[in-house]
Amino acid sequence: MNGWMGRIIRIDLSSGRQEPVAVSAETLRRWLGGRGLGVKLYSDMCPEPPDPFAAGNPLLFMTGPLTGTVMTSGRYQVVSRSPLTGTICDSSSGGSFGAALKAAGLDGLIVSGCAGRPVYLCVHDGTVEVRDASALWGLNTQQTQKAIHGQTPAKTSVACIGPAGENRVLFAAIMNDRDRAAGRGGMGAVMGSKNLKAIAAWGSQATAVADPEAYQTMIARLDRAVDKNPVTGKSLPVLGTSVLVNIINAHGMLPTRNFRSGVFNDAEGISGEKIAESLLQRQSACYKCPIGCGRTTKTRSKSGEGPEYETVWAFGAHLGISDLAAIAEANYACNELGLDTITMGSTIGCAMELHESGVLGEKMLWGDAGRLAGWVEDTARRRGFGVELGLGSKRLAAKYGRPELAMQVKGMEIPAYDPRGAQGMALSYATSNRGGCHMRGYLIMPEILGHPVFLDRFSTAGKPEIVALFQDIAAVVDSAVLCRFLQFAMGLSTFSEMLRAVTGLDFSDEELLSVGRRIYTMERLFNNRAGFTRADDALPPRFFQEELRTGSSRHRLVRLEEMLDRYYAVRGWDSQGAPLAATLAELGL
Amino acid sequence: MAGTIKVKFYALLRRRLNTTAIEVEADGISLLELLTRTEQLAGQRFLDELLDRKTGLLDGTMILVNGENVRLQRNLETRVRAGDRVDLFSPAGGG
Ligand code: SF4
Repeated sequence: MNGWMGRIIRIDLSSGRQEPVAVSAETLRRWLGGRGLGVKLYSDMCPEPPDPFAAGNPLLFMTGPLTGTVMTSGRYQVVSRSPLTGTICDSSSGGSFGAALKAAGLDGLIVSGCAGRPVYLCVHDGTVEVRDASALWGLNTQQTQKAIHGQTPAKTSVACIGPAGENRVLFAAIMNDRDRAAGRGGMGAVMGSKNLKAIAAWGSQATAVADPEAYQTMIARLDRAVDKNPVTGKSLPVLGTSVLVNIINAHGMLPTRNFRSGVFNDAEGISGEKIAESLLQRQSACYKCPIGCGRTTKTRSKSGEGPEYETVWAFGAHLGISDLAAIAEANYACNELGLDTITMGSTIGCAMELHESGVLGEKMLWGDAGRLAGWVEDTARRRGFGVELGLGSKRLAAKYGRPELAMQVKGMEIPAYDPRGAQGMALSYATSNRGGCHMRGYLIMPEILGHPVFLDRFSTAGKPEIVALFQDIAAVVDSAVLCRFLQFAMGLSTFSEMLRAVTGLDFSDEELLSVGRRIYTMERLFNNRAGFTRADDALPPRFFQEELRTGSSRHRLVRLEEMLDRYYAVRGWDSQGAPLAATLAELGL
Repeated sequence: MAGTIKVKFYALLRRRLNTTAIEVEADGISLLELLTRTEQLAGQRFLDELLDRKTGLLDGTMILVNGENVRLQRNLETRVRAGDRVDLFSPAGGG
């Protein structure tokens, strides 16, 4: 087979039994791999949504048909039910772990059950080996990777959890290749609940390519396209993702002090420009990535990876903090302990507003950079007030009787773009099937950055159509599996060209769009079974009631109701957001 | 004396020009005219990062006048006045 390895293994950690899972060629074509195939396999295994921490909640590590082939193809997707949101969730990570898993012979690894003691898995030559991890339990993510590297062949790639995952903190991440994170949605906590400390993968099996000659010509052309594009060839390599700080602030939508303002007066101090002239040591890149948006940085006493845009916002503007070194060190701590930086920062901001409003006694003060790393550490280790921070903002705010102060959708914290400044982004947040996330449909691209076309950010006209389209394309890229930053330099037709060259199947753009739509609808079906309805396609009341007072998004509110019905109609869902029978038939579901 | 318009540089432009802002003495001119004068004052060419003289703004260029993207106004024909603030961003992205 070209593109796929033709092998997926399911291992039950309770019994230690492993077996190959047969997947037909037709299923691969309909779901690709990564997120799509993961969601399909997950849904087949769990018609009824299981408790996220139950042994019966499988955790899938998925590669795709393009993994290990073209540029940015080292990534993998983790699929499971999120303990933070209760939705279906997939979390993406870069580095080279995806490529290693595929070189070990697998399109995917399904982990179910729960081991009787801490274990880690070694994947190589198409098989899985269970090893004792008792000595690794308690180690941070870097110590864990180092220890496993000492017990495995060179070029092994390791994905693991830190103390946060072991302690089942609801937003624990899975970390691989030192500092790359499958960050959002608490996949690390699911891993911890299975007593699974790490997965190590190595191998030398190559992905077969259908038309090697056409493939090589295509690669050379795409390399040039990425290099020539001003975003992927210049801005991202030189300034990283934090170039967005000044841009988003200038648009009056850099969420400041828990989204009470869209302008952060110290934005310059935490900007990508500032990072480049202060902390930056060098850029870093994932497997086969010509872009290299990663930042290897150093403070006076520590060094590590980051901060990227979301993190510099979550620990910066969101908390009223402009001390870059403190932000970077909180980022390093999250990497080492295995925590999602967005939910961590957003939850601290929620606690600060709860304290300010008088309902929370714990002294959480805006701008308190000195205590940042301590809050992160306490959260991962479930100590002191860290136990409450570990709840995430939704549960924390509800506990103190002020649920409206949690800046979340479906329990997942909204990232670094105030939805009052971009109506399409607002609709995308509300309808994201893993909660408040910008990656399901990144409408900032057209509404702010002008790719691939420029759209009026304050208009709702046409937004339902474009949100659905962006969500579907994102699902395809997440299933291929490639890095979404390629989208600055290429569109859907290039992704279908890549898939044709590698798999030899005659994918058209239309077919891929229906693959994306099928994936999105399948995820929606799961969420509906888990009890989510139209009422959950919502945003915190702040965005409908409180106008921003300064900056260029002032006097704006989100106008979700103008878009939601139309969005459901575009998707072929009923007025409550449940897919119609005709839609299911059309998508073959 | 007429007032001034503040033109701010970000990202790669800032690195290229090695300055964060230039004040241009002007009032009631077009954005294109302002940018041309700014380039002269900067003492080096930079407009090629933002626009093509024949086709206008490059894809991805963001120019904000008082925080509002000029694409929602009159593009390079947008009028700028003394006291205005103009932010220049060459194409950029992240996530
Ligand atoms: S663009 Fe950045 S995140 Fe994407 S593959 Fe390259 S280095 Fe990794």
